[in-house]
Amino acid sequence: MTPRTLLRLLGIWLAVLSACSLLIFCSVRIDRNRAPTGPYLVSVWERGSRSARTVVASDPEHALQVAAERPGAQRTIERIVDSAPILWRSWLLLGHSVVPARDGLSATYKGRTAYATPNDLLKLEAYERTLALGPLSLVLGIDVNQVLGALARELETEPAELLRHASFRRFAVVSDAPYPRQVTEADVTVDAIKASVQSAARYLARNQRRDGSFRYEINTVTGTESEEYNYPRHAGATFFLARAGNQFHDAKLQRAGQRAGAFMKDRVTLRCGAHDCIGEGDQVDIGSAALALLAYVELIAGGNEEFRAPALELSGFLRSQQRADGEFQHFYSVSEQHPIDIQVEYYTGEATFALSSVGRVSGNPKDLEGARRGLSFLVKRSPLFLGARYFWGAEHWTCQALADLWQRAPDPIALKFCLDWQAVNRNLQFESPPLPSQYDGGISRGPFMSPRLTPTASRLEAAVATLEVARAAGAPQAQIELLEHQIKRAFAFLLRYQFTPGPTHLMPNAPRVNGGFPGSPIDLHVRIDYPQHAAGALLRYWELEQKN
Amino acid sequence: MRITFGVLNAVSALVLLVGVFAVVQPRFWALDVPAAIIAFVELVSAVGLLARLPWALRALTVSAWVSFVLGLTIVSLIAITIVFLRGIHGDYGVAALAVSSLIVLLLVPYTVVLPALELLWLKRQRAESRP
Repeated sequence: MTPRTLLRLLGIWLAVLSACSLLIFCSVRIDRNRAPTGPYLVSVWERGSRSARTVVASDPEHALQVAAERPGAQRTIERIVDSAPILWRSWLLLGHSVVPARDGLSATYKGRTAYATPNDLLKLEAYERTLALGPLSLVLGIDVNQVLGALARELETEPAELLRHASFRRFAVVSDAPYPRQVTEADVTVDAIKASVQSAARYLARNQRRDGSFRYEINTVTGTESEEYNYPRHAGATFFLARAGNQFHDAKLQRAGQRAGAFMKDRVTLRCGAHDCIGEGDQVDIGSAALALLAYVELIAGGNEEFRAPALELSGFLRSQQRADGEFQHFYSVSEQHPIDIQVEYYTGEATFALSSVGRVSGNPKDLEGARRGLSFLVKRSPLFLGARYFWGAEHWTCQALADLWQRAPDPIALKFCLDWQAVNRNLQFESPPLPSQYDGGISRGPFMSPRLTPTASRLEAAVATLEVARAAGAPQAQIELLEHQIKRAFAFLLRYQFTPGPTHLMPNAPRVNGGFPGSPIDLHVRIDYPQHAAGALLRYWELEQKN
Repeated sequence: MRITFGVLNAVSALVLLVGVFAVVQPRFWALDVPAAIIAFVELVSAVGLLARLPWALRALTVSAWVSFVLGLTIVSLIAITIVFLRGIHGDYGVAALAVSSLIVLLLVPYTVVLPALELLWLKRQRAESRP
């Protein structure tokens, strides 16, 4: 090949590639900021299900009036802003062509058009589906089979027939639904924070069973409950309830915390060697014991002395699991009565925080020493590891342990560690513009997925703890301001999505989930740790502001 | 040049083999098969060039064309994917755009530039060997 031929070949390739790219880009893009011009999709929802739908070109307020006036009915109006064709009738391409939580999909078949609006897709729980492609996992914007099924039902045909012969368009809408709420950093006031925490704590208290356990996970769009249960999360929820009860002097919340604590004390306490531990079956983890211990300490602070002896038992168990280097053995074989030296995420931080916390109740210097060694182990990083600035674990418990220990055993290395981690989190924080305003402040989990609330919330727990220590340690004002700004933006994100009351038109039993925090903008389940982490962070900030 | 291209082909075959089969997990045929083909033809041509075997230039021609065509195809697919996702997600996909562009820039020297230089050299070799 001569240089001239090579250049000609590359030139042709570049021209064809550029033309194809331009064609694809112009075909698929939609302008979300332009003035809406499309039709209105008017829907009436009853008991969480869509009971009527009409498409009108104007006067949507007068559409479906009779249906909207039925008791309990709610009408939503979504207006199409812009739309674009799906380029090929391909299953995979359909899945990649819809932006989660923002786009809808329409299908036109034999002269009729059916719309799956963002509300419909939330109701179907059809946003973001993981597709196993060989050994790879791809996250698609929608669950194609589910959406095709729904559109096919409306058009009275089969999904496969629809995929073969319909023409599809994705579309963006403006909606009159008041969810997510419009909350900015300026709206994050002490009063707003207190109201949010109380609401979340009441959610947990409302969803507590007589035996002290909780409805573990509620799917708010179907009203169904998960059969699963998890003791570390039960203990975490108990810890939060007890704290909220103590801080707000709310007897109802304190009683709920006490019942949840009694559930652990009386029903799931086992014997692990010389000490008590928490769990069921042949093997237990130290996470349940650590979070139960945090809850017991908080319950003791509320005047429940019956938790003192169990707390001392659990602190003995945690200390017995600690290695000489400060790390913990995370599991214990109940059947064989020996520790198992395996580590998983979170538990070392939880155990460290718990030992620090119980140190105030027990007065035992071994608890404080165990916590100090645990924190030191957690924040130790080799100076030779260049990736130390870029690779981080989930350190929310670590930084809460730092704050809890600061007055008794200050660790400046741990403070620097937590400040550095928050700097990394700031880089992961969504910023609007250019990103969608409703996501501003949330922590990114990838470019094509909506942010989840709990990872943001758990980082916030650590951020507020770090802020507390940074202020106490006299950190530079600029650094403190960065942290405060980061925290308030993230709180605004959480408050936008809290169910106060949430998208009630999609919920068969909206009052039951009032105050809960969902998993994400597209995952409207509430698991007990979602309000625990979100409201736990808010409560920590509220406490800090009270001290100031 | 014969030795230079032999060494470069051997190095890029090893980079591909180690990069795809030792570093990237899990296994996926869509990546493994093209990478294995390119690495195989490059290794064969490297052996031929370094050992001065009679079929070395023919092997180099095959390896250069296979690498060049597959390289341009991979770069095209990545570019079209970037454009498509940018069209769908708008500003939301800036990070993915940056990462994908970096991947393209890292691929181009091995999959486009090197085979293009080899094809140019082969042309000159043929011209020089004519009576």
